[in-house]
Amino acid sequence: MKKLTKGLLGAALLSVAASASAVTDADIDKSFKPYTNGFPTVEGVVPGLVINKDNVDTYASVLDEGMIKHIKDGWVEITVGEPMDFVLNQGYIDATKAGAKNHKLGAKVGEIEGYVAGRPFPIEPSLDDPRAGEKMAWNFQYGYNWGDGAAISPFYWKYRNMNTGQIERTIKFNFYFLNFAHRVNHEPKPEFPKNPGELFRGIYLNVEEPFDVKNTQLLIHRSQNDLKRDNAWLYLGFQRRVRRLATGQVTDSFLGSDLMIEDFEGYNGRISDMNWTFKGTRTMLLPMYDSSKQKRTAEFNESDGYTYSTYHGKGGCFPNVTYSLRKVYVVESDPVDPNHPIGRRMHYMDAQTFTLPRTVTYDRQGKYWKSWMIGQAHPDSHHPVNKGTGVSVDDSFGMMDVQSMHCTTGQFKGLVDPSLVKKKQFSVQYMRSFGK
Amino acid sequence: MKNSRWHLKPLTVAFALVGLVGLSSQQAVASIDTGDDTTELSGFVENATYFRDSVGLTKFRNTLQLEGTKLLGNLGAFSEVSINGTFRATYDGVYDLNSNEFGDDAGGSVLLESLVDFGAGNLVPNGGGIPLGTLTPAGLVNDGLIVLGEHLHDADGGVTFPVPVRPCDEDSRGCLGGYMDDDLDDLRYSDFNDRWDFIRELYINATIDMDSGTAFNLQVGKKQEVWGRTDLFRVLDVLNPVDFSRQNIYDELEDIRIPLWMATAEWQFGANDVLDDMNVQFVWIFDKFRPNRLGQAGTPYQILDAGSLFRGLNNCWDNGCTVSNFAGGNTTTNFGPGVLGIRDVHLPDWSLENSQLGAKFEGVYRDIGFSLNAFYTRSQLPSLRGGIPSDNPFTGGGLPGLPPEGAFGPEPQVYPYLISFDIHFPRVVLVGGSLDYYADSLKTAFRGELAWTKGEEFANTLKPRLFSESEVVRWVIGADHNFFIRSINKNKAFLASFQTFGQHILDHDRENGPLGEVGIPDRENNYISTLLLKGWWFQDRVSPQIIQAYDWGANAYVVSPSVDWLINDSWRLQVAANLKFGDGARKFSDCRTCNPFSPFTATPLHNNAVALPSPPFPPGTFAADAGDIGLGGFEPLGRFQSGPIGMAQKEDEIQISLRYRF
Repeated sequence: MKKLTKGLLGAALLSVAASASAVTDADIDKSFKPYTNGFPTVEGVVPGLVINKDNVDTYASVLDEGMIKHIKDGWVEITVGEPMDFVLNQGYIDATKAGAKNHKLGAKVGEIEGYVAGRPFPIEPSLDDPRAGEKMAWNFQYGYNWGDGAAISPFYWKYRNMNTGQIERTIKFNFYFLNFAHRVNHEPKPEFPKNPGELFRGIYLNVEEPFDVKNTQLLIHRSQNDLKRDNAWLYLGFQRRVRRLATGQVTDSFLGSDLMIEDFEGYNGRISDMNWTFKGTRTMLLPMYDSSKQKRTAEFNESDGYTYSTYHGKGGCFPNVTYSLRKVYVVESDPVDPNHPIGRRMHYMDAQTFTLPRTVTYDRQGKYWKSWMIGQAHPDSHHPVNKGTGVSVDDSFGMMDVQSMHCTTGQFKGLVDPSLVKKKQFSVQYMRSFGK
Repeated sequence: MKNSRWHLKPLTVAFALVGLVGLSSQQAVASIDTGDDTTELSGFVENATYFRDSVGLTKFRNTLQLEGTKLLGNLGAFSEVSINGTFRATYDGVYDLNSNEFGDDAGGSVLLESLVDFGAGNLVPNGGGIPLGTLTPAGLVNDGLIVLGEHLHDADGGVTFPVPVRPCDEDSRGCLGGYMDDDLDDLRYSDFNDRWDFIRELYINATIDMDSGTAFNLQVGKKQEVWGRTDLFRVLDVLNPVDFSRQNIYDELEDIRIPLWMATAEWQFGANDVLDDMNVQFVWIFDKFRPNRLGQAGTPYQILDAGSLFRGLNNCWDNGCTVSNFAGGNTTTNFGPGVLGIRDVHLPDWSLENSQLGAKFEGVYRDIGFSLNAFYTRSQLPSLRGGIPSDNPFTGGGLPGLPPEGAFGPEPQVYPYLISFDIHFPRVVLVGGSLDYYADSLKTAFRGELAWTKGEEFANTLKPRLFSESEVVRWVIGADHNFFIRSINKNKAFLASFQTFGQHILDHDRENGPLGEVGIPDRENNYISTLLLKGWWFQDRVSPQIIQAYDWGANAYVVSPSVDWLINDSWRLQVAANLKFGDGARKFSDCRTCNPFSPFTATPLHNNAVALPSPPFPPGTFAADAGDIGLGGFEPLGRFQSGPIGMAQKEDEIQISLRYRF
């Protein structure tokens, strides 16, 4: 009887936690505009401050555990930049207001009912809510990360030896993202009319260089049903064949880099693949910046004059960008699958944009494994095509494997321009015709 | 296939390639900077050096390959218009560096086994058999020859005959015009020939994006078009023929598909109410028909040793030949020209009627990708059709006791069951399909292909013309599974890829004859399984793998371990071995006892055998129906029992390739 009571109580709590809360427009405004009354402040953390191994202890409260270690080890110094307001696209905010009262979590992790578009849970998370972490994960999953569709073209990855700084490989990609559903800004809204597979999102990429992986293409179809496994296909140029990917290939090193497919954008998997735990709200330094005020490089000779992020620190693995004080939700994810290579990830979600500028990864033995930084550029400071899009633009990344002392850096040319993204690109047949 | 237009100096090419490597290594660039956003150009130079046990050097191939794309943008109704080209130049130095095995100095004099010593011993030189005809002066030259199959097996009481092995400009014996007649330059510079194979691809690509959301894609030019979802086996991937002369069945299909001039039109409809993706493709191959290249006698790589068989047979037809253990099944015999062998090759001329058509319907339904395919083509493998007019060697030779020419009708005439052939490439219709599916519960991706063909022809000693047509079903099922072994690789999963290929000959025809099995030597059902295990270390820059294949019917096994090392973005070194195990050569009826020339070849074991009176006939002479009673050996039909793995049993190799990309 005691067990039954406990079970009923637990179910009731879950039910309360999962139900649609009475979200008001004021809550939504607060969620999207947390800095209406000013940016957060921490004593001494002002623009221009350089945090190094000599003063890192003073500012430990605004840094994550991994970054503190890197600075203490003398791997990197970080410079504080001006805070910026990253207000997301009004269409996304409007969609949030239109739908926030109509959906709720389902009974299982990975289930969401009644969701149409916008930020699913524009509420202040609570440590008392056992599913708060899951809600934050949904906010990321259905975030306005690349809008309804965008391209990163080109996208340069460099494989680096952290000890020597040697660049071992340079891969030139093109990435494309398209939301099939939950669209908020570009017709058709909220979903493509012919979508029998009920896809949520497509991710398509191809490789231009180097020659041995040229024409390699990856296509991922993510279902609206989070409990359904992604479908993924890989086209290998030297075989001229599309191969259906086994899931194992989304959790191992992608093309030899320090990223797995699951790492893309901070986390590129199903909500139901993880247990999500909200760990609290903090004020922290995140790599979010005005790109026009960063040191940039013209090494790739873009005809439109676009310049790329630069790198510094140990092995040249750290994006050479400024960090600004942000309101951060700390969320831990640990894999449901006991055979997953990762033990847990600690995500530092930007509360305004629900991007993942910082993630620290631990292996199954609990040892610090990977340090993951995705620099966010304000769209109005970035490429002209991004101005006014209300997208926090992924602009630079550094993924460090601190156990093997190796890293992969990424230099983006992110373009939030739906005309660059065609629905046909997200089909298996397109891979064949593109691959020649 | 002559390369009269491409007489290049080998050293010139070698120096050019070496010079390019030297120049490029100083530049250390990942691709060529054309200074033009609409033009892409890249390529590589490569040296592939292979060594074979007991043979020495089998490949010293130097390759320069250039790939380019020129984007033209919008042209009229078309968008995304581009011109795509791939050009390849190769020089294989093996014909200069190991000319004793493969080249102008290859071969030598031969001795042929004779179980009966008729006064010449049990090893008889070319031209030294009992006379059932007279070899031409060219046929009597006992130089530049090998004995068919000598690298793989002894005669062991079976049929063998001499095979000329020098390039066709050095020795034209047995060269089949337009099919297997490569001279030294053709072999050294295999991409430079009258079909301009140095153009690996050159086609225009254009798209029309329709308002309905359908994209229409048109490609016209010389290209490869790949169907199917499986590796290694060509069940649906049959639009382009392949070049087995590069490395038998072991080269990448990308490198051995023979590009053809064709047009492909594709409607990419995208999703509809039922399918997540749907497209329809039509293919018109308007190139002059090209068969698979099987390799030529005297070259290192021949699938099923077919090149040697064909050249030896053509030499027999043109010049006559000495055949071991033939007369009476035990006595080495000389035949004159026009009796046995291959007379001619009938390669289809270019005509609209001879072009090839294909259609594919492809889609994704729920989680299953599928295709339905149809292809109206020709057999890319040769069919040896008997029933050609031939001479009866028992008449007209002036030999004691034998009748004069014309005693059994005008000569030449068609004799049933006579091993004299023309080569044809019959029309074939293929209908098939493919699918793939990821089973999450098994963490495994499955792939499958199925094809039914009508029109293929098989050797068949039960038929008067020694071939028969049969419908064939072929299938492949494959499974890919990734798994971690964290103790040896924390970050990267290993790949295990398993496939099984099956072939079922629907109209299979085989019987037990008095002396052995007769009919179609290919098995009615046969299966080949493959297993690939692959791992990656050091950011995928070091990748060891093992590919294994086992032919269940032939009991033939090959294992190929290799290590691929990407030294940097430009340099790649690959070291591999290719080792075979199993039964090797196998036997089947060779049609020595097919009795084409009754009563001279009849035995009491043949149907309706009747003893003929003596005199006038020698004692023990019978008249009987023609037909095979099954005496056999390794050659020539045992090769279909051994399969491509078994026939290469003695071709264990170490292989090293170094590539520089730019």
